[in-house]
Amino acid sequence: MVDVRDFHCDYENKWCPGCGNFPILEALKQGLADQRLVPEDVLMISGIGQAGKTPHFLKCNFFHGLHGRALPLATGAYAANSELPILVSMGDGDCYGEGGNHFMAAIRRNPDMTLLIHDNRVYGLTKGQPSPTSERGFVTKIQPMGVRSDPLNPAALALSQGAGFVARAYCGHKEQLAGLIGQAMDYRGVSVIDIMQVCVSYNTVNTYDWYKKRVYDINEQGHDTGDLSAAMALAFAGGDRIATGLFYKKDRASFADRVPGLAESPLAARSYDPARVQALLDQA
Amino acid sequence: MGIDVTVKIGGEAGQGIQTVGDLLARVCHGCGLYVLAVNDFESRIRGGHSFLQLRISDRPVAAPDHRVHLLVALSPRTLDMHLSELADDGLAIFDSQETGPGDNVVSIAVTDMARKAGGAIMANTVAAGACLALLGASGSLLEIVLKKQFQAKKAGVLENNLKAAQSGVEAVEGIDFAPAFAWPEKKPAGKLLSGAQILALGAVAADCRFAAFYPMSPATGIMAGLTGFEDRAPLVVEQAEDEIAAVNMVIGASFAGVRAMTATSGGGFALMAEGLGLAGITETPIVIVNSQRPGPATGLPTRTAQADLRFVLHAAQDEFPRFVLAPTSLDDGFETMGRAFALADKYQVPAIVLTDQYFNDSVNIAQKPLTVPESIDRHIVTDADMDDPKAYRRYEITDSGISPRAVPCAGQALVMVSGNEHQQDGHISETIPDRIGQVDKRFRKLAAMEKEMRSPRTDFPDSRVLLTGWGSAAGAIRESVEMLRAEGMDAGGVYFTDIWPFPQQAAEEILGRCERFYMVEQNVSAQLGGLIREKTGLKFYQAVLKYDGRPFFPFEIARRVKAAEEAIDG
Repeated sequence: MVDVRDFHCDYENKWCPGCGNFPILEALKQGLADQRLVPEDVLMISGIGQAGKTPHFLKCNFFHGLHGRALPLATGAYAANSELPILVSMGDGDCYGEGGNHFMAAIRRNPDMTLLIHDNRVYGLTKGQPSPTSERGFVTKIQPMGVRSDPLNPAALALSQGAGFVARAYCGHKEQLAGLIGQAMDYRGVSVIDIMQVCVSYNTVNTYDWYKKRVYDINEQGHDTGDLSAAMALAFAGGDRIATGLFYKKDRASFADRVPGLAESPLAARSYDPARVQALLDQA
Repeated sequence: MGIDVTVKIGGEAGQGIQTVGDLLARVCHGCGLYVLAVNDFESRIRGGHSFLQLRISDRPVAAPDHRVHLLVALSPRTLDMHLSELADDGLAIFDSQETGPGDNVVSIAVTDMARKAGGAIMANTVAAGACLALLGASGSLLEIVLKKQFQAKKAGVLENNLKAAQSGVEAVEGIDFAPAFAWPEKKPAGKLLSGAQILALGAVAADCRFAAFYPMSPATGIMAGLTGFEDRAPLVVEQAEDEIAAVNMVIGASFAGVRAMTATSGGGFALMAEGLGLAGITETPIVIVNSQRPGPATGLPTRTAQADLRFVLHAAQDEFPRFVLAPTSLDDGFETMGRAFALADKYQVPAIVLTDQYFNDSVNIAQKPLTVPESIDRHIVTDADMDDPKAYRRYEITDSGISPRAVPCAGQALVMVSGNEHQQDGHISETIPDRIGQVDKRFRKLAAMEKEMRSPRTDFPDSRVLLTGWGSAAGAIRESVEMLRAEGMDAGGVYFTDIWPFPQQAAEEILGRCERFYMVEQNVSAQLGGLIREKTGLKFYQAVLKYDGRPFFPFEIARRVKAAEEAIDG
């Protein structure tokens, strides 16, 4: 039996005390244990930022890459071995800022992987600059008059581009998040979980208290996850209530389903066949 | 004197100039002749002026000739621009119904004839028929090639093309053309391929299984070539959203266990620089082809240069070992791709293959047989190779600097990789011993990597004067050496494929012996010359440099070296 403790890692944790990443990590371990996966079978690809460090604190295989580039890195790993259970851990700046183009391309391509976007609406590792999801008017040291731009809407962006699994979670609700991670891993294709997260060091606006008053679970209220318009309405809903849960789910052909060469078996699993290659060269 | 004839076909983009060149090249190849077809075109799809220059010879040719024997002008501009290049016994065919401007210009209504044969689109077939007839080839030679090309097309296409070719033949009947020659009836001397095609073949032969790219001239042809194998080899070729994605995908694929590559030009390579560094610090083997074009920025998108050498040697922040290889010919290109993948795997480093527009877009004959290795050593370890897989450390400190490389999710061993500086198990570390330990570990590979580097190829290395170059310029340098020797100069040639780690000892030995050496490069500062000075202390005497975006002609190299030598003697 797989236990959440199997994913414990002795490496010293480097997040701030009280960081919203801690409950995310716990939910992640729970989600993986529920999937009956063992650490040796899990691959996490991450970008740069506090979210990018996640795999160092989780027992698993990992590649901690560049800022914004976790998705292409993960896509390459998936192309080489489409049977790997791949989780991609990114921050809001990582996924929606530096890596925005890759986010859109990943949705189009639809490789089978679970995107965990730790969205704390601020840059933590570089000490408090605004992120693409910071509210307009959000005051930082470098923006003393407040952020001038409007925030990006992750769920609406993912839905508008045709993503087949779009969820929004809150770091304070671990069980819900663990359940969503499980569902996302079961889904064949890109699954997007935008995780609203607290930054105790640099975001004094969107705090635990702030979220607690606002979040509610749409899946407890009978939301139809096959209804794109309803999902879009949830993504755009303003006001004092913030919807969480699985917004939308729809089957789509995954990247491997679209590439005839991947139907047989993963590329990395094929044995080298010199005669076959020689025949290709002889025809040239 | 053997056969050495140059045909130049010029016109607007979209007129099918390349088709004429392809047809002629294939006819020549089929008879056992050697050819080199150089494409010169503008960065546009229609209009403008472009041309194809085909050199035909009974011995291997690796550089274009500056003299044109037969000029086919499908546009008036071609005539204006290139008539002066005609050799004394040369002839121009001008697509016109009016009489041409001189005795050496024959007006033939090529497009009109094509229309009569079934469509203006066949102007290139008419032109090919006329060219071959002038060159003394029998009509049946073109027929064979046309049949091969069009037999799969719908009814009438082949017949119309045969008719078009015949009208071209008839149009030049009775014209006396001195450069015509007796056509051999030999077997093809090798495979007729472009540089881009040979690089793709080299990659497939090296068991490359994943390639990602973002379209950029002149590298796209390599990926087009690879895509052609996707249905018959374990290979996925993916067009990425940008070059940054392309290189990161390649790193991811390699990490997960397959050989992977990307191809781009200087601008795309600039975007890949951070990824290159990621491959460096994570010790992930990847192959990047940089097919150079003149820059900076957009520069001359469809033209050639050798000006990215310094760039690829140092691209990405900080320092890490890498290979840089610049193939000098098609045969070398095939072999170099295999070596790039093998060396990258063996040393867990990025390998960069430097080619250029001239190399990629020119069609030549690959003379060596294309063979695949019997087995591929991936230098990958599994649990079975370990005493205790649970204690596996991806970046274990070793004497060679090479740590055992396992792939993720393949057993009990956890593979942990980080672009941050790391401790031996792959977790982030900022301690001084880990930093120094890992930097030193990575750099310990250099000694063995240096030993893998091959000496430059040479012609007459004991000569008084040596002409030195690298990559695709080798063909022109080699022929210029022949020219200089024919004029009595004690000259030789030195051509580098392996550039980094720099083959210092071999360079010192070869270049240290001569009285003086010249650098011949397609850049403005003699980049390899500077590197030779840096690594050996040897200083080149003068440099023959060309940075106009066009390939070297052997005669211009010979002329400039001769002038410099005469200045010394005088």
